[in-house]
Amino acid sequence: MGSRNIFIAIVAVVAIGTGAWLSSLVMAPAALPRTATVLPAPSDLPEFSLVDQNGATIGRDVFRDHWSLVFFGFTHCPDICPLTLQVLANARQQLAEAGQQPLPRIVLVSVDPERDTPEVMKRYVGYFGDDIVGITGELDEIRTLTNGLGIFFEKSRQDGDNYSVDHSAVVILMNPQGQFQALFSAPHEAANFVHDLPIITGSL
Amino acid sequence: MKHFSLLVVALLLFAACSAEQAPLVANDVVITRPPPGMQMSAGYLTLSNNTAATITIDRVASPEFESVAMHESVLEDGISRMYPLDTVAIPAGESVHFKPGGKHLMLMRPTGDAGSTTLEFYSGDALLLTVDATMSD
Repeated sequence: MGSRNIFIAIVAVVAIGTGAWLSSLVMAPAALPRTATVLPAPSDLPEFSLVDQNGATIGRDVFRDHWSLVFFGFTHCPDICPLTLQVLANARQQLAEAGQQPLPRIVLVSVDPERDTPEVMKRYVGYFGDDIVGITGELDEIRTLTNGLGIFFEKSRQDGDNYSVDHSAVVILMNPQGQFQALFSAPHEAANFVHDLPIITGSL
Repeated sequence: MKHFSLLVVALLLFAACSAEQAPLVANDVVITRPPPGMQMSAGYLTLSNNTAATITIDRVASPEFESVAMHESVLEDGISRMYPLDTVAIPAGESVHFKPGGKHLMLMRPTGDAGSTTLEFYSGDALLLTVDATMSD
């Protein structure tokens, strides 16, 4: 190897090293969630007994083995609930297109079990996606689940026999151990879930 | 002759008004189709007041729905609430937006399976505006 070749080799090494050093300065050390609040320690759910949209009895184990995005709402809600389910379905679609694995499951928990029978839930969630889970059942059992997640809801009277239900607008992220892992505050945008989910699920 | 002049002025004013814009105009009208088995749709639009006085809408009706109500979704301390609105005032020269997550129309109990719907906006007994819209998914 001539001295000219040695010189070129040294220049190359210095250039690569400088490049790596510069890029380490520019790149963020680790991506952080933009909107989600991640719990320092995931929390377990109390046991409950509810039914899914097929009428099957379910308990807290229903959240095991999946990452789940859980929203609380009711089918007689014309504005916010369809809007949120659409945002979650769009986020899931975008994550799928980006090759994200595992994809989160979308779960709607009814805060209006009086009107939201399993049959009503099945038709409703099926309209927004094939694999959305709808959960309903006895009011007391729903309270057990919502209290365990810090979710508020309350019936609000309106004109005639029609009523609305006020409810926490947060979306909860459950981890595959069936624990409360993180929350997304409203207003919701698909881009927030698309950005934060891979970071939280550790698959970035 | 004086009466004739007044008539001409009135006709000119009428022509000027209709050549420009109607007093109340609707844009960006979206009526959602009810999800299967559901009895309600949401209506979104922008209402623009082209007059020099406030226009107050106190009733909305549709032949294709048994009831139409004006509502507002509000996010208060993380709680999503929905308030019925008795009236919606559109200030002179301004627009009011009915949009997802805000003011919206709640259309209840469709009377048929029509793909299109007509909205009628009233102030007292006066029908101020009729809007035709097709339903979208």
